[in-house]
This record gives sequence, structure tokens and C-alpha cells, in this order.
Amino acid sequence: MEYLIHICVLICIYVILAISLDLITGYTGMLSIAHAAFYGVGAYIAAIMSLNLHSPFIVNIGCAATLSGLLGLLVGIPSLRIRDDYFVVATFAFQVIILSILNNWMSLTGGSMGLSGIPQPQILGFRISSHLHFLVLACLFCILILWISLRIAHSPFGRVLKAIREDEIFAQAAGKNVAAFKILVFVIGAGMASIAGVIYAYYIGFIDPTSFSVMESIFIISIVIIGGAGSLWGSVVAATVLVVLPELLRFIGLPGAMAANIRQIIYGSLLVAFMLWRPRGFLGNYGFHR
Amino acid sequence: MDILSGPLHGPIGPGRNDRVGRVRLVWQLVVNGIITGSMCALVGIGFGLIYSVGRFFHFAHGMVFTLGAYFVYLFSSLFSLSIQFSIILAIIFAPFVGCLIEIVVYRPLRGKGAGSLVILIASLGIYVVLQNTISIVFGDSTKSIRAGAVHEGIVFCGAHITTPQMAMVLICVLSVAMLTGILHKTRIGHLMRAAGSDPGLAAALGIDINRVILYAIVIASLLGSAAGILTAVDVDITPSMGLQPLMLGVIAAIVGGIGSIPGIGLGGMLLGIAYHLGVWKISSQWQDAIAFTILLVFLLIRPRGFLGRRINGAIL
Amino acid sequence: MGDKWFEVHGLCKNFAGIRAILDFSCSLGQGEILGLIGPNGAGKTTFFNIVSGFIAPDRGQVLFKGVETTRIAPYRIANLGIRRTFQDLRLIRQITVLDNVMLSMPNQPGERLTKVFFRWSNSRKKDGENRSEAMALLAKAGLAEEANIAAGDLSYGQQKLLSLVCCLSAKAELLLLDEPIAGIAPEMIRKILKVISSLRERRMSVILIEHNFEAVMQICDRVIFMDLGTKVSEGTPERVRDDPKVIQAYTN
Repeated sequence: MEYLIHICVLICIYVILAISLDLITGYTGMLSIAHAAFYGVGAYIAAIMSLNLHSPFIVNIGCAATLSGLLGLLVGIPSLRIRDDYFVVATFAFQVIILSILNNWMSLTGGSMGLSGIPQPQILGFRISSHLHFLVLACLFCILILWISLRIAHSPFGRVLKAIREDEIFAQAAGKNVAAFKILVFVIGAGMASIAGVIYAYYIGFIDPTSFSVMESIFIISIVIIGGAGSLWGSVVAATVLVVLPELLRFIGLPGAMAANIRQIIYGSLLVAFMLWRPRGFLGNYGFHR
Repeated sequence: MDILSGPLHGPIGPGRNDRVGRVRLVWQLVVNGIITGSMCALVGIGFGLIYSVGRFFHFAHGMVFTLGAYFVYLFSSLFSLSIQFSIILAIIFAPFVGCLIEIVVYRPLRGKGAGSLVILIASLGIYVVLQNTISIVFGDSTKSIRAGAVHEGIVFCGAHITTPQMAMVLICVLSVAMLTGILHKTRIGHLMRAAGSDPGLAAALGIDINRVILYAIVIASLLGSAAGILTAVDVDITPSMGLQPLMLGVIAAIVGGIGSIPGIGLGGMLLGIAYHLGVWKISSQWQDAIAFTILLVFLLIRPRGFLGRRINGAIL
Repeated sequence: MGDKWFEVHGLCKNFAGIRAILDFSCSLGQGEILGLIGPNGAGKTTFFNIVSGFIAPDRGQVLFKGVETTRIAPYRIANLGIRRTFQDLRLIRQITVLDNVMLSMPNQPGERLTKVFFRWSNSRKKDGENRSEAMALLAKAGLAEEANIAAGDLSYGQQKLLSLVCCLSAKAELLLLDEPIAGIAPEMIRKILKVISSLRERRMSVILIEHNFEAVMQICDRVIFMDLGTKVSEGTPERVRDDPKVIQAYTN
């Protein structure tokens, strides 16, 4: 039973990661493989603050989201000057740089050893200790972020994002400050992703840089693309499927390490397959055409 | 990180404070840098060539490096063939996989009119599949091919360099020269450059774009596999060994100028040297961050690199 | 500062050594329709790109209502009241016809993130108002039935009409129309020309790039003939048509 709850917590975390990236990539059309960096920054800020400052959960999440948002601003700036392919390389660069900082700033982040012993969060006097507590917490945040994203997607703001995705020049000619929209969506996406990181850090109690590498970024973008770029519900479904699938493999008796490899082969192959036959994914409406 | 800081690049002597010792140390680092730079340049040149001709980023290119290494391991350690024969087989099989990727994935994608982003995404997927396949087949642990005694190599003006390392540098320099010659003096080279600068026009003139791209991938994969093979024969191998040379190769390509083979070669060398001098001067692990920051700066300020052509067209 | 409503002084633009526009000047009053004609490559679209802010000229000035707009960002120029269409028909094909029209409207509280969440009811109300306005415009243009289909599913002629409606929804005062009737059926040409002519009464001005000289004769008050980046002739449509310099340029 606890195992089931564990899976559900992971699903919530990946749903948050996927829909936040979907806003950036699926709705606004900016392909980014830096998302695990925002995820990691959120996790580390929460861990560092709770371990060193013993600050309350709310403060930690606020700081994580803010700092991650600022990072999102930084990552968004090149999108104003560099076009698609090269922008992906730029996001790759950010991902590597941020991960390098997490790996090397030993005094702050514990380097490759990571940080452990992250205390359980306390919200309004209530201590979150069991798996079930964490599930409720994760679900609440997941639903909140999903709601916010849906509101954004279906608003005139979201309409401008879709316009930017298809034709930036038309959007400019229609009087939209494209630069501001692009940066804003990066800030929001980064902030949301960091919340997933905060939940992860508190839940597992221990973090190290390997959980936030470029391969993780590729996994998150795979969820978005397979579920369908530009479809939030697609991201929800794909996150669920891609988290559950490797766990099912474990039940058919595959050794643990191999299961991780097979999971990656599965989503890697799905990625190639979808590009060949249905670039817009299951439920999406954007196929990265130009 | 392992490739660049392992026992590969000769003994860095005990910290001698005297002038001579320091100079010798710097020289060894420079030589190491040239070796590493050659390795990354070989991968980067292929990457840049493919982009120049096909207008897409083949991120899975890093895998021909890894495959070159693992094929040598497969044939020599598991099939017990001689090292020389294994190398020959590897230089055939690894590029073959590169061609397979083009034929099975990229060509159909282009046929459907897929944009460069779609192809880029597909290449990420291919990289993930291939790296994990190697992990499953060979395991994640580091392997090594001990072809008899550890290569002693020679001492070149006071710096230690092994035979495979010399071969790496030599092949890199030769490849740059030959490839530049091919691109500018031969018919197939002209076709490649034509296809790269204006695919629509080239196709209208009857150039078979698919064939030209295949040539580019063959050449690129040969160079990349060669680098991987030489690395395998010299140091240990792991499934993720291709990532670092790919990343540095991409940086070299963009900084050196993605359309310019000599530019990428030079960029790779400089990057390698900077990397090794960086190990010495600052704590070893920050080089990645620095290298990629340099990349970001170039992308923002000078996307065409030092020697490359214009890449971003006008918007209207 | 200029005393005309819209004026352009001494525009020059080179692209990598190729002269696109040389010393081009013109002016326009309110409620005027100006035709811009000339062979391909004459610099007409470049002129539009400069006025709409997508390209900065090497030299020269653009003044709108007394304010210099020469190097302002395109989105700002669009919000000052200058809107344009594109020769290669830009639209957002993935969203509905209605969404395209609404997208082009200024003053949308729902586009500001804070309004998406706070003061929700106000932005909803404004959204509803914009929606009815957009529908009214579509009805007048005869596209009301297509309001909820994807813009990409319209016929080419309907798409051209739609891009014109988008400019109108923005309550633009100066419209730059780049070949608004090229490649469409006569029926639709008539419709679009009627819409353009009607703009005069609303004190809106139009600069029109067209190759269809008959249409230009029909609706333009004045015509400028451009060739090789310079103004060769200017005047009423008849005068320009009969200008020997124009005839010579066409026969060359």
C-alpha cells in the first residue's frame, strides 16, 4: 500500500514538472532541456534552507520558487535572440552550468555527496511525516499548479502564447510584447518546477545532483512531447504512464538496474516513434513544425 | 569527466617549484590539451559537417564515439580477436550504426517534411535508446581493454604521449586537412556545400540531398568512431563516455564556427588546452561550467563563431 | 517636427551592399488611400517593414501624428495605431478565426497575468465585450459563420479577408496592406476592396501595395510608383499611369 502511495507522490511530482514545461515548450513553442535544473534548484534551496536556517516550509517554498523564477528569467533571455535549434543548445548549456554549480559548490550543496537528513516539513503546526501525508501535500500542490496552468492556458494570455508559438512576427504586428511574454512564461514554468523539487527534497529526505541531470531534463521533455505538446491533460496522462510503466516492469522480475535502463529505452523509443508518426503526441496540438 | 582526468595523459610530476618543472608541467598540460582537443574536435567536426550539410543537429552523434569504443571491446575481449582486427571491425560497424540512424529515422523524417526541431527531438531519443542499450548489453561498470602492456609511448620535447594519443592528434590534423580539401576541391564536396547552403535550390538542380547527407554522416561517423576507438585502446570505457566529447565537440563547433572545419578543429584544440590548464589552475570540476558559459556567450554575441558563416537568416 | 499626419523623410536602407531603398519620402493625411506600386524588388515591402518597425533604416525618419516612430519596437508601433498585413499572409492558423480577431485587439486585461487571477470578474467582462465586438466585425465581413473554425481551414481568400479584419479589430488608424487581393477570386476581391474603400469615412488611412492596377485605379486617392528603391512618380492614379517615366520603367 505504501508502495502505491509512493508511486502516486512521484506521479504528482512529474505531473507538476510536465505541465510547467508544457507551458514553455508546448504552448509557447520554446523547446527547453533545462527543466531539470529548475527542478534541482528548487530541491536544493528547500534542502539548504531547512537544514541550515530551519526556516518554515512556506518560506522555503517561497524562496525556492522566487530564485528558480529568476533563473527562469535568465534562461528565457537567450530565447529572444537565438532561434529554435540553437536555443535548445543554449538551454542545454544552462542545464550543465547549473548542475555543475550544484556539483561543485561543496560548502553549500555538499557537492556530489548531496544533502541528507532533510527534516520533515511542518505546516501550521502539523508535521508531515507519513507517506500518506506527503501524498496529500503533493496532490494539493499538483492540483493547484494544474489549476493555475489551465487558467493561464485558456486565457487571452494563453492565446498570445499560442500565437508566439506559431508566428512571432504576427504576434508582434498584433501589438504583443513577445519578449515579455516569453520571459514571463519561463519564470512561471521555472517557479512551478521548483515546487516539484521542494516536494521531492522533503519527501525523499536526501538529494544529490544525479537526480537533476540532463537525462532527467530529456525525460521531462519526453513526457511533454509524448503526452502532447500544448495539451496539459496530455502531460498529466503521459506523466502517469511513464512513471507507472517502469514500476510494472519490476513486477515481471527485471533486476533493478536494468529496469532503469529499460525505462529510458522505452521513452527514448517512444520519442522517436512519435516524431516519426505523430509529432504532436497523444493529445497535443503542436508538432514542432516550422 | 573520467576521460579527461584519468591516468591517460601522462604523469604530472610531483609539484616542483622550480621554473623548469613548472614549464614542463604547463607543456605537459598543453600536450594533454591538444590530445583531448583532438578527440573532441573529431566529434565536433562530424557534428558541424552534418549541420552544415543537413541543417539539423544530430545529437546522437555522440554515440558513434561510444560505439567505436564498445565494438573494439566486444571483438577483442569477448570474441578474443586481435586488437588490430577488432579495431578494423569497429571502424566498420560503428559508422554503420550512424548510417542506420540516418536511413531509418532521419531520412523518413525529412521525407515527411519534418522541421529541424523534430529531427533534434528524435536524435535525443536515439541517444537515450543507444546509451541504455549499451548499458544493458555490457553493463554500466567501467571496462577496459588491455592490449598487452600499458602503452609507454614516447617523450615528445619533455611531454609524455602514448601511441594512441599521438594517433588521435595525427588523425585529427589529417582529417581537418583532408576534409577541407574534399569540401573545396572535389565534386562531392561541392555538392555537400551546395546542399547545405540552399537545400531547395540544390534539390531543384538535381542534387540528391539524401545521398549527400548520407556521405556527410558516413564521414562524420568515421571520424567520431575513430576517436572512440583510440580512446578505448588507451583508457577505460563506460556507456556514457560519448557525452563529454559530444558536448565539447558541440562547443567547439559553435565557437569555432559551425560551417568551418578548420575552425572547429582549432576550437577543439583551444578548448582542450583551456580545459587542462583549467584543471591545474582551478578546482578540476568547474571546467564544464566555464566551457558552457563560453558557449552561451558565443551563442548570444556571435552565433557564427570565429570562422563560420552566417547562420541566422533575416526574419522577413 | 512634421505637420502632416503621417510622413516619411529620406529613408535609406541597404542590405549587405544591395540598395533596397534610397532617399524615399512621402506623406499621408487622414482618410487617404495611397497606392504603392512598382515591379518586384522595388522596395515596397521593405518600406512597410521599416514603417511597421521590423527593420531599422540606415537613414531617415518616420513620423506618425507628430511622433517619431523610426526605431521603435514593432509591437509598440502596432499599439500606436499602425497595423499591417503581410505579403505571405501571416495568421495564427492553429487557433480559431474569432481568436485571431480577438488576438489583434489591444486593451485586453486577460493578457496580463495578474488579471488572469485577480480582478477576475472585470477581465471576464472586458473579454466578453471584446468577443461581441469581434463577432460584429466578423459578421460585417461575412465571416460570422466561420468564427469558430481554425483559421487554417479557411480558403485563401477568406484568410486574406480575415487578416484585414484583424487590422480593423485593432482600431488601427493607419493600415499597411501588402497585396491584399493578390491570388484570390474576383468575388472576394470585390468584397475586400469595398471594405478598404469604406475606411475613408472612418478617417482611417491605408497604404496599399498592389500589382492589380485596375484595383489601384479604382480605390486609391493617390499613387506612388517605386522602382529600384526610389520614388519614380507620384500623383493621382491616372497621372501616374500616363507618366512616361513609369511606362519606361515597366518596359525595361
